[in-house]
Amino acid sequence: MASDEELIAAVAAGEDEALAVLYGRWERPLHAFLTRYTGGRDVDDLVQETWLRIVRAAGRFDPARRFSTWLFQIALNLARDWRRRPPAEPVDPEDTHIMAAPDASGRVDAGIDAARLLAALPEAQRAVVILRHFHDLGEDDVAAILDIPRGTVKSRLHHAMARLVTLATDAAPTRRRGL
Amino acid sequence: MTSGTPPGTSGAQAPMTPVCDDVRTRRLLGDPAVGDDAHVATCGACASATAALGHVRAAFAADRPPGPPPSLAPRVLAAARPLLAARRRHAARRALVAAVAVALLPLPLIVFVDVWVLQMIYGALTRFFPATLSFYLVVNYAAVLALLGALTYGAIPLLAERQARGRYEALHG
Repeated sequence: MASDEELIAAVAAGEDEALAVLYGRWERPLHAFLTRYTGGRDVDDLVQETWLRIVRAAGRFDPARRFSTWLFQIALNLARDWRRRPPAEPVDPEDTHIMAAPDASGRVDAGIDAARLLAALPEAQRAVVILRHFHDLGEDDVAAILDIPRGTVKSRLHHAMARLVTLATDAAPTRRRGL
Repeated sequence: MTSGTPPGTSGAQAPMTPVCDDVRTRRLLGDPAVGDDAHVATCGACASATAALGHVRAAFAADRPPGPPPSLAPRVLAAARPLLAARRRHAARRALVAAVAVALLPLPLIVFVDVWVLQMIYGALTRFFPATLSFYLVVNYAAVLALLGALTYGAIPLLAERQARGRYEALHG
């Protein structure tokens, strides 16, 4: 089975099948990343634009790099610039209803809504948490994607952690009421 | 690993340390290190955050964003098709230019050797035949050499295309 890096070289030569294989491999992770990062706004358009950029820039891909790092970097830059609209602003914890909505039976889920938690984080911290936690990327990979030092990745993760703990702690009384 | 706060310190007021940050991050990522539990047992700040961290972890674990719609893949691949066609043309042009450039490199030497050989042949022939006949034979031979050269260089685009197809088949089996 061809590696991602071999496939992107084939894409650079204009091969449709190579793009289809590469797309199939990364469709779900990329879609999930953009959904979490943007809160679900214009995700399909962003996915399409990401792949078009990949095809356009395939000839400039550095084989020494990992394809996944490059892919997420392009997607992240696009999501930031998309129609010059910044991603949703962090939500004020005071205004955040972190509880999940009642389901069809009217029962309130005891869990906290991950999408709302992520939305409550500043953009820079949100990107780090998504890449590190949901995509299991190492600190070096996250640093490469965000083009920041490794130490900054750690500090953003720590700040995000503190905020998440605060949000979850604040949500605890609501959760008890929900139950 | 050292404790962030003295044992028995109240969690709410206990100050956090860089150790606490690392411990919490590892616990959220589900990658606890040896000694993390011991740290939490003796650190009020981390102990008080354990429940909240558990809720965040559970929320993240339960998160299932909606998958891409089935129509997305055909849409993206169709949108990429013209770009891929342009890339194919570009790649073919580059391969051809590279092949021609490589082939042209030894051409001056080939021409020089051919001219030298023709001169030698002409010199040898004029010892036995009249000059006109020798010239006729040498021109015929030169024409054959030129034809072979033209055929060789004319085959370069075909060879470049075949090489590109071979690379494609090697990649896709």
